This record gives sequence, C-alpha cells and structure tokens, in this order.
Amino acid sequence: MRNSWLLAWREFLERWNNRSFRWMLILGPCLIILAVYLLLLSGNQGANKMKVLIADPANLLDGKIASNPIENVQYFFYDDYVELNPFKTSPKFNEFDALIEVNEKVLINKKVFLFYKETPSLALKMKLKFDLERRVEEVMITQFSSMSEEDFRKIKQPLNIDFRNVNDPYGQSSNEIGWVGFTLGYLMMFFIAFFGTNITRSINREKSSRISEVLLASVRPHQLMMGKITGNWMASLLQLGIWIALVGFGLFALKTFIIPDFFTPEYLQGVQVSGSQLKELGLEANSPQNDQVLLFYQRINYLWLLPNFILFFLGTYWVFASFFTVMGAMSGDHSDGQQFAIPIWILLSLSIFAGYNAMAFPESDLTVFFTYFPWTSGMVAMIKLAVGVSPLEYLFLLFAWIIQVCVGTVLVILAGRIFKQGILSFDHKASFRLLAFWLRKS
Amino acid sequence: MIEVRELTKLYHHKVALDEVSMIIHPEQVFGLIGPNGAGKTTLIRLLNQIIAPTKGFIKVNGSFLNVQHVRSFGYLPEERGLFREMKVLDHLVFLGKLRGLSTFESKNASLHWLEKFDMTAWSNRKISTLSKGMAQKVQFIGSVLHNPAILILDEPLSGFDPLNVDLLLEQMRNFKNEGKTVIFSTHNMNSVDELCDEVALIHQGKLVTKDQVLTLRSTYKSGNFRVRFRGSKMAFAHSLWTWFELISCNELADGVYEARIKSRGEYAFNEVFERLSEAVKLEMMEEQLPSMQEVFVKLVTHEK
Repeated sequence: MRNSWLLAWREFLERWNNRSFRWMLILGPCLIILAVYLLLLSGNQGANKMKVLIADPANLLDGKIASNPIENVQYFFYDDYVELNPFKTSPKFNEFDALIEVNEKVLINKKVFLFYKETPSLALKMKLKFDLERRVEEVMITQFSSMSEEDFRKIKQPLNIDFRNVNDPYGQSSNEIGWVGFTLGYLMMFFIAFFGTNITRSINREKSSRISEVLLASVRPHQLMMGKITGNWMASLLQLGIWIALVGFGLFALKTFIIPDFFTPEYLQGVQVSGSQLKELGLEANSPQNDQVLLFYQRINYLWLLPNFILFFLGTYWVFASFFTVMGAMSGDHSDGQQFAIPIWILLSLSIFAGYNAMAFPESDLTVFFTYFPWTSGMVAMIKLAVGVSPLEYLFLLFAWIIQVCVGTVLVILAGRIFKQGILSFDHKASFRLLAFWLRKS
Repeated sequence: MIEVRELTKLYHHKVALDEVSMIIHPEQVFGLIGPNGAGKTTLIRLLNQIIAPTKGFIKVNGSFLNVQHVRSFGYLPEERGLFREMKVLDHLVFLGKLRGLSTFESKNASLHWLEKFDMTAWSNRKISTLSKGMAQKVQFIGSVLHNPAILILDEPLSGFDPLNVDLLLEQMRNFKNEGKTVIFSTHNMNSVDELCDEVALIHQGKLVTKDQVLTLRSTYKSGNFRVRFRGSKMAFAHSLWTWFELISCNELADGVYEARIKSRGEYAFNEVFERLSEAVKLEMMEEQLPSMQEVFVKLVTHEK
C-alpha cells in the first residue's frame, strides 16, 4: 500500500511538474469562459440599430407597425416600389439601413423580402420578424375574419403537450434536469478520456525506458498499476476541482460584469421584445430564462448531486482507468497506443450514447443494461440521480457502482499480470494471440 | 546463502535456462559468465522475481524466495531505466523509499553515495541532462541505497570508462569486505580474475561449470612456466630435452634470461624446478595459470 502511494504521488508530481498541466489548470477554464462568451456573442453580431424603409405600394400595412416600438428600430413607409439599385446608390435612400418589400401578395403567400446593407444581429432579425408578422396578422384578421385580435391570439397560442411519467405526475424529473446529469456525466467522460490516455502513455514510457524492471524489483505489478491510476486520478480531481471553481466563478463574473444584458429574458428568447409581447405571441411557456433560473437555483439539489458525482466519478474512473492500464500493459510499442485507443473511444462513445438513451427512454431494456454495464453505468447514474431516484433505485445504482469497482479491480490485477509477462518484450507487436498466451502463462 | 535448484525457464518453447542448480555462498563475489544469450540475465531476473520459473525453485537462507527477500536485494538490471524528468536526488530518494527507507534515511543515503561518486553537484539536476556514465552511476547508487545484504548486478561494468570501472570494482570489493554477497554477470573477464571468488559458467541455458576462480584456472592450466635464469642459454635448452617446448627466451641482462616453456606432459612444479636447476641457476620460476578469459574460451569452445 505504501509503495502504491509512493508511485501515485510520483505520478501526480510528474503531472504537476509538467508545465502544460499547470498552464491548463488556468488556461482551460479561461478557454471555456471565452468559448461561452463567443457563443453568446455570436448571436449578438451585426447591426443592432436600423432605420428600415417599408416599401408598401398597396398600403397594406396602413403606415402602422408595432404597437410598442423599440428605440433600436425605426420604421419609415414608402407608398411605391423601390428598386434595389436606387436603394443602394440614391442619396434619397442613403439614411436607410434596410428595405422591406411588402407587395400585395403578402397576405396570400406570406412572403416578404428584407434587403439589408449591413447584416442585422440575430436579436434584431427576430425583432423585425416579430414586428412585421404581428402587423400582417392584424391586417389579415381585419380583412379575413370577424374575429377579435384577442381571440386570434388565443387560437394562435400553441398547444403544449407535457409528457409526464405516471410515477412523476408533477414533472419533477424534467428533461432539463436530466441534461444537468448528462452534462456532469459528459464532464466525467472528458476527464477520464484526458487522464486515462496519460495512464497508457505513462506505462508505455516506463516500458520503453526500462525503469519498470527496477520498479518491479521493489513493487508488485498490480501495485504499479494502482499507483498510476491513483496518481492520475489525483491530478484529474485537482484539475476538475479547479476547473469547476474557476468556470463557476468565471461564468458568474461574465454574467455580472461583462454581459449582463445577455441574461435578460428578451435576449434569451432571441427577440428583443418585452414580456407582454411574448405573452401576446403565446411564447411565455417557452421562456427559457425562468426555467434556467429555476433549474440552476432551485431545482438542482447540489448537496445530493455533487457527492454522488464524486462517488460515481471514482467508480467510472476506476473501471475506465483499469481498462487503460490493460491497454498500456499490452502495448508493444508506441504505435500500439494509438491502435488500442480505438476500443477505449468506442467505450467512451457508448457511454455518451447510453446517456442519451437514458434520457430518451429511461425505462427501456437497453437503459437497464447500460445501468449495470460498468463502462456506461456512471453516465446513466448521473442522469438518474439528477432526475431523481427512489431509495430502491438508488440501491440499484450503488450495486452498479460495486460492479464497477469489482470489474476495475479484476482488470487492474489482470493488467499487472499482462504487464509482468510483457515487460521484457517491449517492441513486440501486440496481438490477441500474445495476450492469450500471457494470460495463460500468468 | 542462495540455493538454486533445477531452475528452468521457457520462453515460447525456447529454453532460456535448463535445470540449473547451484549454491551461492554468502560473503563472496560471485560471477556469472557466459556468452551472449546464455541465460545469465534470465537467471538474474528469476532471482529478482521479475519473471517466474517454468520449473524449479530458489531458496534464500533456507526459505523459498519471496517478495521480502527480493525487496531486500539490491538490483541493477542490464537494461537500465531512469525517470529522465526527475532530479537526481529526487529519483534516488524515491527508489530508496520504494525499498523501505524513510525519506530522511533515503535522502541521507543518497547524498552519501552521491558524494562517494563525486556527484553531489549534480544532485539537483534533471537526469535527462546527465551523461551516460553519470546516469549509470545514478543507476548503481539506486541499487545500493538500502544497504542490501545481497547485491545482484547484471553487466554492471558495461558502458563505463576504465576509471569508473575501477571505482565500481572498488565498491564491489568493499561490499564483500563488509560481509555482503555480490552476484554479478559480466563479459569482462579481467574483472572476474580480479574480483570473483567463485564463478558459474552458463552456456545455452545450461550450467557448464561452477567453481572457485583459482580452482578453475588451475584445472585448465596448460603447463606454461615462466623462468628467469643465469647461465648458458644452450645448457637451458638442452635441459628441456623432449619434455618441454621452448616458446621464447629473451636476454634481460648479460647472461640473464627469461624464458617461457610449455610442458609436453603432466609435470609437477618441483619436478620441473629440479630438472632445470641442474643446468642453470634459477632466479625465478612460476607456473602460469590461464586467465579467466582463456578458461572461458576453452570451456565455451569445448562445449560447442
């Protein structure tokens, strides 16, 4: 045990002394924050203010548009056709940023062209669409029906079918919260993939530098494997912890100081319209801001989810890492590492698929299988735990965790044996035949 | 005492070691010699439990070889490895701790040995910056840090310059004087002559012979004598008659010669001395034993 710890600490220090590891501790979260910022910014690119000329020769819109005009869009009406060339070149139209062509067929084909000089931002596009659509609807109501505008809005309001489990009639275990579990599971897989490959690489390196023979005179092969797994686990946990803390802080700072506007309900809706306008369009049920606030600040039980995340991260890391050690122990040279990455990536992808499957079909036979299959159970458990489980279901998840630990332990012992058999034959070409031979010998 | 009994190791049906049995007595320097691929490294790896025997067993002081024994050995493998990114002192302290020393003990022992090998100034350098010779010294230090009672060295002298070979041989001699057992494999027969009490020759996986160095050299002596005499060269040559062959005779000073003769039969030293002293005045006479190099060649050629 002492030697395993010594090896683990050495492995951890090797990671820590690696300059790129230390840089990534800080740089990784910064890149994530930057990516989030760019993602949010991408929707806010382009012109945010416009003077729009509406060419309405038939005077269909009657010179009126939008009951609640917003400062960043100004509409002007023109009661004739406007050709594109004069619009581009004539000083008369110089002040306008966009031209909307509303011809008489618009009430039939509901097709309108907007020609812009500078691409409008996504928010502005949505605003323009909203304004025009609303005005055209008003005209249509007046022309084609005796219905009141209010009735029309009621009719237009989409029917929301909320699919709920009979055991969860109040929708406590919603899809959104399932995504939280999936994200945690994905994070788990990301770190496992990142640090797991380090294990394989480290074993390869020690085999090729022949230091393993010196080490094996002092420690047992499975202790060596354990040391590698634990050392990399410590490094991954440190990185994970720092990333979670820094990304959390970064997102908070981003929201509070840099882009507070991005978090208004209007922005998140993608339309810079007021809440009352959303209600008119029947979109209030889809307003994501409230759901997200509720989700992140009220519905997620962090005290329940985070300890379980650590527990299942341990189990899943263990079972994957043991597989990585088997791959490392089998490797005959560095090119084998790449070849053996394929089964590892298959398992990681399978785990992601299992996550999707568990969200879409939580009670399916396949989900049951994935719950107990050691390489997918961590991901499925995170989704189930996020969504909520009964005490009995939780016991089943713990049983799946025990399976992970047992399978991982068997694999580590196996890896040790393969390692010991294969240590003296680095530069061999690994094959299943050779593996079978080593296992038989050990 | 290490007892090796009918030790056999097969690699993919290829016999690397074939029923080798021997006893290695304590407090001596024991040499393992043999041509390349003879099975020396296999035997050493079996002694360190790096690999498991196909058949046979090893006993240390009467009990079967176990992990505790192996941890107490000092081991320098033939293909040496180091953690190239670690600093010299950190690497040594780590190895010492793996062998059961505390951090304090390990650090003290490391510094002691680094000083002994004139490497104190390098203790905080990364191993990757060391020359090959220095790296080998670090490897050697790593195998002796925990003051092992049994030291197993596989080709310890390979790659060292003559100065460092001397340094290493001196250390091995010191170990023997301290009552430790040193087992080492080598192709350097001069070091065997100089250092070993006992040797085992392994060839094609089989133990060809195992004996005291002096006994082996005596066994394979070829009747060569070196003689210094004063008198007539002709009288000396006549006295050899048909029993001896004169190989060379050089005049060292006026009337003083040194000759090398080879007997054509089995003659005892006294017999030769008597016969020659009748013809000339003998000043010195010694029987020339074959070097271990000659014994090695003779044995291996004979085996072939």
